[in-house]
Amino acid sequence: MSSSSSISSSFRLFTTKLPNSSFNPKTLSAFPKHPNFSSFRRPISFERIPTISSSRSPSALAPSASMPLQPIEELPPKLREIVKLFQSVPVPKAKYEELLYYGKKLKPLEDKYKTKENKVEGCVSQVWVRAYLDSDKNVFFEAASDALISKGLAALLVKGLSGEPVEEILRVRPDFALHLGLQQSLSPGRNNGFLNMLKLMQKKAKDLVSGSDSVDLGLNSQVGGEKISTSGSEIDGGIEGSSLGLSSNENAEQLSGTSEKISTLGSRINGGIESVNVESRSEGNVKELEVVGSVSNEEESNSGDLGGRGKRIREALARELSPVELEVEDISYQHAGHAGVRGSGDGETHFNVRVVTKEFEGKSMIKRHRLIYGLLQEELESGLHALSIEAKTPAEVSTK
Amino acid sequence: MMTLEGVALKLSPYSFPMITTPACRTPHTFRRFLVSASTAAAPPASLSLGHSTRPDFPILHQEVNGSRLVYLDNAATSQKPITVLKALQDYYQGYNSNVHRGIHYLSSKATMEYELARKKISEFINASDAREIVFTRNATEAINLVAHSWGLQNIKSNDEILLTIAEHHSAIVPWQLVAQKTGAILKYVELNEDGVPDVEKLKDMLSRKTKLVVVHHVSNVLGSVLPIEDITCCAHDVGAKVLVDACQSVPHMAVDVQDLNADFLVASSHKMCGPTGIGFLYGKSDLFSSMPPFLGGGEMISDVFLDHSTYAEPPSRFEAGTPAIGEAIGLGAAIDYLSGIGMQRIHEYEIELAKYLYDSLCSIPNIRIYGPVPSEDVHRAALCSFNVENIHPTDLATLLDQQHGVAIRSGHHCAQPLHRHLGVGASARASLYFYNTREDVDDFIHALNDTVRFFNSFK
Repeated sequence: MSSSSSISSSFRLFTTKLPNSSFNPKTLSAFPKHPNFSSFRRPISFERIPTISSSRSPSALAPSASMPLQPIEELPPKLREIVKLFQSVPVPKAKYEELLYYGKKLKPLEDKYKTKENKVEGCVSQVWVRAYLDSDKNVFFEAASDALISKGLAALLVKGLSGEPVEEILRVRPDFALHLGLQQSLSPGRNNGFLNMLKLMQKKAKDLVSGSDSVDLGLNSQVGGEKISTSGSEIDGGIEGSSLGLSSNENAEQLSGTSEKISTLGSRINGGIESVNVESRSEGNVKELEVVGSVSNEEESNSGDLGGRGKRIREALARELSPVELEVEDISYQHAGHAGVRGSGDGETHFNVRVVTKEFEGKSMIKRHRLIYGLLQEELESGLHALSIEAKTPAEVSTK
Repeated sequence: MMTLEGVALKLSPYSFPMITTPACRTPHTFRRFLVSASTAAAPPASLSLGHSTRPDFPILHQEVNGSRLVYLDNAATSQKPITVLKALQDYYQGYNSNVHRGIHYLSSKATMEYELARKKISEFINASDAREIVFTRNATEAINLVAHSWGLQNIKSNDEILLTIAEHHSAIVPWQLVAQKTGAILKYVELNEDGVPDVEKLKDMLSRKTKLVVVHHVSNVLGSVLPIEDITCCAHDVGAKVLVDACQSVPHMAVDVQDLNADFLVASSHKMCGPTGIGFLYGKSDLFSSMPPFLGGGEMISDVFLDHSTYAEPPSRFEAGTPAIGEAIGLGAAIDYLSGIGMQRIHEYEIELAKYLYDSLCSIPNIRIYGPVPSEDVHRAALCSFNVENIHPTDLATLLDQQHGVAIRSGHHCAQPLHRHLGVGASARASLYFYNTREDVDDFIHALNDTVRFFNSFK
């Protein structure tokens, strides 16, 4: 494989193993397509392990009196909206009504999921939480409870965290509940249901994404072994374009009839070919990957449908950091319609960025992020709303 | 200052309860009482006991979530009067010192007060000797002490231990551990149709195999009272010992261990206006004498050699290490306070309050209250565990607290077997003490109605 810098082709594919062989779920979130797939999805984001974007440790789940309350802005967008809603309700009683209303709307959890592994400890009432990956490899939650208030709290978390990127889920501190104004006790320990609810959801999200064996996928289980063959690619530097045999050997629990196949290939295959975001395709059509797109020199463009901003981001990072791996994904669609996005013009507002470069060596997480933000200052000032960053050195990556 | 028990005290700047002349003691009516120098003068007749004692409890005078605190969780723990708080402070401020071995003034004073507290307890429950009182951390530890020291030695494989299904976990689990180690069998008495443990069945289940009967005096969920004298009589007939869990009775009524004829009796200080961290085990002298140590260490030994030690006489034998001295003294102060009011008076007030609570709760639609129906013959403790149909008790308790400042408890109240038997996962419980008033009950009922309406309207 050629080194990354000389790759100049339009898209990067890499040999996948045969469909029935196992992918490492850590590196790939690739799923075979279902013949009945019908819709078209934009590039899929990775589920990333948490990055530290502030000085607070993401594992500080227990609130401490000395720590300031987590600012609302740090919450994942959906949860943020819910919190704001509660804040706008002035009367405590009405807040409880609101909470109960959330609970009422909560989709019932099937009995088979009311297992010991899913039971939240420390609730005087019974609460179960289930997490699964949808076809886009986003974490979704379901929950149930036999008491209304805990049901409402669970519903709140389910609604606020489902579909959010995992690192954002993991970053949520339970003291955000103080923003709700419901005076939920947050004392850590065995007997705090709400705290434990959140913790369990965070743990499940993390486990799902890091590919533990008990992964619960909301996917069609029959999708083993289908390939997406692509048209030939002209790739300099010998990245073979070949079939994206996207298969997963993970247990898929749900049979969703019209599951969309996602093909997100994020593997690190010898020599640092960076991962590629490949769009899933419509059923039956073996088109050439939409990934084939722009050709950029000296650059690893991974996704052809990055707009102007996405390209600029990539250019800036590639130029300044000489990364061995670089991925830029536009996930703005996930946030389309929410308050932060409106009015940002071109709609390119939220990105996931993964950079692996020697430049990060010896730098703390914060410094790495600041470096990246510094390079993207213009974008941040002109409508780039949020960056989710994974910043690693080559040494860190190779030890995985 | 009066001399106490032969120890001459110099004039001390510390005010602690005075000891009166010994009162004549008859088994049923009079009790020896100690007048506390710091309690108020006799209250005016028109005020109920609740009203007259409330000023002694500063913690009750606060607001919670915007409403007046209505504390109805006394079965879980009780509040402490100022005299107890003062006793604790006086101890630490004035004469804190390690007990039993010291020569100096502070140490001898601390020892004296500590042993005085032991004496107060023994008199409070009419033990025949202060040496029949062993200080423990709480009732749970006391039961574990019996299980370990007496149980492991005296219970053999296939012996039976009889309990009721309404026992507190602390009265059940230590015996499960013993049964695991010895091969003994645990048997449980269930409830009769009145909702109380079936005493007749209990008597039926007694046999020569029964080595121990473990029973509560007053149930922390059902509010029922068991006829301990009756039970111990029958148990002794078959050669079984009786351990009485008196956590919910000693704080609320006069308990006389000689009348009950219990072999062991346990209670916790924190449920009877005393501090946490201290409790006691009562045991008959001959039983204690035959029991090996529980925890080993300082204080419980006589002589220590490299390869063996000889042990102290009871009660010291069972009190290893430095005890909770201040807390024991605090418990002594609590007993003074309670005795100053009179356990009989407390008990009568609570019977009335219990009925008022029960009757008021009956007015809530779709409510189910556990335990017996109160009547002339059947007195309930001043607590009610209950469930309202279709509303989870946790939801009730949460809103009662958040919207009304009413503190009750929701859960299994450390009685999971009982709840399983009743067919519920959890219940709500309101439990009163002598400093609660009818107004507290009224506020609770009003709040409960409001909360029930809220949840019903939501469905």
